Amino acid sequence: MTVILRVKGLKKSYGKIIALKGIDFEVNEGEIFALIGPNGAGKSTTLRIIATLLSPDEGTVELIGYDIRKDPEKIRERISYLPEEAGAYKNLTGIDYLRFMANFYAKNEEEVEEFVKKGERIAELGERLKDKVGTYSKGMVRKLLLARTLMIKPTLAILDEPTSGLDVINSLEIREIIRDFVKEGVSVLLSSHNMLEIEFLSDRVAIIDNGRILETGTPQELKDKYSSRNLEEVFRRIVAYEKVS
Amino acid sequence: MKKFLNLLRKEIKELITVQLIVSLAFTIVLFYFIGNIARSEMSKVQGVKDVSVLDLDQSDLSGEILRNLAFANFRINLLDVNNKDMAIDKVRKENLSLLLVIPSGFADSVSNFQPKEIETYVFVRSFSVGSSINSELVNQIIVSINNYLSDNILKNKVPDISPSILKNPIKNRSFIVVKDKVAEGSISDVNNFVTSQTIFIPIILMMILVYSSQMVLSAIAMEKQDKTLETLLTVPISRNHIVIAKMLASGLVGLVSAGIYMIGFRFYMGGFMGNISTSGQVSEVIEKLNLRFTPNTYIFLGISLFLAILCALALATILGVLSEDLRSAQSASLPLVFLVLIPYFLTMFSDLNTLSLPLKIIVLAIPFTYPFLASQNLILGNYSIVIYGILYMLFVFVVLVFIAGRIFSTDKVLTMKLRFGRKVR
Repeated sequence: MTVILRVKGLKKSYGKIIALKGIDFEVNEGEIFALIGPNGAGKSTTLRIIATLLSPDEGTVELIGYDIRKDPEKIRERISYLPEEAGAYKNLTGIDYLRFMANFYAKNEEEVEEFVKKGERIAELGERLKDKVGTYSKGMVRKLLLARTLMIKPTLAILDEPTSGLDVINSLEIREIIRDFVKEGVSVLLSSHNMLEIEFLSDRVAIIDNGRILETGTPQELKDKYSSRNLEEVFRRIVAYEKVS
Repeated sequence: MKKFLNLLRKEIKELITVQLIVSLAFTIVLFYFIGNIARSEMSKVQGVKDVSVLDLDQSDLSGEILRNLAFANFRINLLDVNNKDMAIDKVRKENLSLLLVIPSGFADSVSNFQPKEIETYVFVRSFSVGSSINSELVNQIIVSINNYLSDNILKNKVPDISPSILKNPIKNRSFIVVKDKVAEGSISDVNNFVTSQTIFIPIILMMILVYSSQMVLSAIAMEKQDKTLETLLTVPISRNHIVIAKMLASGLVGLVSAGIYMIGFRFYMGGFMGNISTSGQVSEVIEKLNLRFTPNTYIFLGISLFLAILCALALATILGVLSEDLRSAQSASLPLVFLVLIPYFLTMFSDLNTLSLPLKIIVLAIPFTYPFLASQNLILGNYSIVIYGILYMLFVFVVLVFIAGRIFSTDKVLTMKLRFGRKVR
């Protein structure tokens, strides 16, 4: 399997607060890799560094050979990032927003239209795409943003809490969209504190707490290793073990 | 370039909101409306002036005075009543504004050189511009009557000499010197002309600076408030292009908005000032003193204004990054607004050379001072301060853009805030 993302010894502090204490993991081509952990564990900081928003204090991040410090622009061409709290431009219509974003990634007008059509399909907002984003519900905005993230077929889609704040139906729809999207051979790096969601979506999981990765493996491997019925139990046991040790 | 234009289009679309269009249209309509009212009020005041007169003397002299007043553009409304109280009552009831009472025995007193009082009554019904001018009219009436009487007396006593020579035995020839050029004329006329040519420049400049700055501040603050900035920073476009697109879009929309406001403002001011025209004599003086805007002065003025706008946009970009949302952007804009207003008022109401040295240094350190100084200095041919200002603003702009670019290309664009208590996780 080809490794597309390699993260090594990643450290990051905000003043006296140490957010990351040395993170290591790899993401393979065509897999969904999830970072799970409680609030404040360092998930969002890790994703923001990979998305070129923050610079690491130490460590390296490489996406298909491009270094985050040396080639941030090359990395931006190959990633698509959905922040946990994200919005879209309220004065643009949904379709205009998709076109605006497609223009940054497409090589020509034909590709722009191709991306927009794909975005329309993913968003499943129908005629509402012609309305201004300011009139959308939270779930509709999230679907539009997910469509924007996935339509350009990035090498790596970075999804920070993709179903954050959504109701059950919208969350289910978004999970299905992500699952379908990976079938096209694209990799996904996502974070969530919803262990059940991760179990449903991910091929491999890294459990992160207090700025460190405690365990990595497939959901089944982790459940077997810690004799647990689900990832929530796995997480509880790992954290309890860490405290004792 | 395609990506940059895509971003620029979006920025302009985001700034041109329905609220902005409605507010601009409303302003124009409002200014136009107020200007028209003011114009009609001023034309009433400047046209034929009504004055009610109670002539208790009924003499040849009083008749002559009234004819003289009619000649001086007063419309005489001769009252057919017997006493002052009735006259006052009648004027009040008929909603008129001015009453002139010529007492009985007026002609005799004048011929005996015994001053006799003419009474004037101004009826106040509001404190508008028009009503305040009524009291000025009273003075005009008295001056007009006094001139008429004194000229008549002098003509009778000294028939061989013109009354104007007797009243003003000393004549004055006034000259104006600007650098090495000298011209005969009135400094107040020249002042009026120069003011009429330059009065709009600082107002336009102030409006453009404040407007454009607030646009760019809002544009960045909105990105933060609506949580779109993080996404924008991860798309494949140079961070410098993001900064430039925001500045350019805000500059363009600010320029157009200020232009529209100025059209409205011109309607408004036109109502009060009317059409400023220059007499041939003043034009000649202006020509001799070389006090006209030439293509060169326009070029210098344009460069100065343009650089001031760029400095304001760059500073607003930095302040925008410090803002978390629209509300804090409004607070963040205050220092910039002050930096524009200080030189605006100082250059409008005082002479920079008369300021104390520390104050002068502070004012000259503000880049926005120079375009305010430019118009009058260019007319007077003082190019050095304008050129110095252009170079200084260029330096400030480069420094500010460098800082803005640095902020946008580092974590600081997300972590710098006016309230430093909260940290980005």
